[in-house]
Amino acid sequence: MSMDYSEFKRLLGADPRTRDPAMLRARDTSPEFREAAVEAERFEDSLERALRLAEPPDLLDGLRAIARPKTTAAGRETWWPMALAASLLLAITAAGLNWWSGHRWDSVEEYVIEHYYHDGLKLLADSGSADSARIQADVQAMFAGFDVQAAQPLADVISVIKHCVTPDGKGIHMVLETGGGLITVIYMPETRVEDRETFGFDDQQALLVQLPHGSAAIVGTGTQNVADYYALVHDSIQPLPGRT
Amino acid sequence: MSNETGRQARFNLLAQSYGADLYRYAMWICRDDALAKDLVQETFLRAWKALDKLKEKGAAKSWLITILRREYARTFERKVPKFTDVDALEVPEDKELAPDDRAEITLLRRNIMNLPEKYREPLLMQVVMGLSCEEISLELEISKSAVMTQLFRAREQLKAQLQQDGVTGNVHGLF
Repeated sequence: MSMDYSEFKRLLGADPRTRDPAMLRARDTSPEFREAAVEAERFEDSLERALRLAEPPDLLDGLRAIARPKTTAAGRETWWPMALAASLLLAITAAGLNWWSGHRWDSVEEYVIEHYYHDGLKLLADSGSADSARIQADVQAMFAGFDVQAAQPLADVISVIKHCVTPDGKGIHMVLETGGGLITVIYMPETRVEDRETFGFDDQQALLVQLPHGSAAIVGTGTQNVADYYALVHDSIQPLPGRT
Repeated sequence: MSNETGRQARFNLLAQSYGADLYRYAMWICRDDALAKDLVQETFLRAWKALDKLKEKGAAKSWLITILRREYARTFERKVPKFTDVDALEVPEDKELAPDDRAEITLLRRNIMNLPEKYREPLLMQVVMGLSCEEISLELEISKSAVMTQLFRAREQLKAQLQQDGVTGNVHGLF
């Protein structure tokens, strides 16, 4: 039994690229069917073009890094990442948290620890691998997205920058290349913190900074004095002129 | 090849085969670049942990979409993301298109964004991820005939909207 035109159009609309033999046979039964098939293909070409988006250039590298055997950051002992992972897992379990299953945190401190564990080491390892001119362009563009700017003393030492999740929406995760080594800074535009509060996890030290607009967490190793970077972060992340 | 190396190679193949499409899919469902990247990263993190559960190579695409959709649902429960303006989407090839084609593509993107979710989702699964109607029906847990109806209606709605936009002169208003 031959297919009627409305059924043909319906099937074509559901799957214009179909190679179903009955559909292919039907399209040759009359000029009307053929024309409908050509029109559907033309529309499909436009649809595919409209849905095509350029993927981020670093997407695949980021995904491959997931499966890469974990390497240690410069100057760290080989047991350190495993010890961090194990003790952090305990801390996370104890707090009843689960980064992977819901991104909910009971406190900023827990968020910082989990976030650092999530991709902090990878970003530290990435430091120095990106083009500095591009980083500088990204720095101002990303901060401007939150109505703030990064003053030059801070912008000059940022070696890695990316958007990240924070307890209250999107934020910025940075690595600073300082004279005292690599320092992690997480900017949280919508989060309030207890200014100058410090806490430790494994051999890391973290310091919270309340900013005029949002807040930040500074994370470094136990041998780095994170308080040394308080003024740099506090004074450098400021609202854009005319914004409060 | 050790088990771990084999596992890694298998994962890399998944990332290479589906990473970009999954990002595009994520971008179209969440409409936020940073969130789309995070969703894809989280999806592959989960995939890496559960890779041994993936027995059939042919099921990988659907498996990844399932993980991503769950992850997105969790994110959405927590906070409604800020949507990107469709005009801000960057597609390098767009510059090579003739102005009329570019206008059509821009309108189509806007209209895709505005499609009801029940039409948009199967359409994205089919066009972006290349899933068959059977695979979509399994993913969405609805019948194949319901999927076909939704796909048909999605395209009809887009065509009708495009025609309406053209008639009302919106094409020219875009530039």
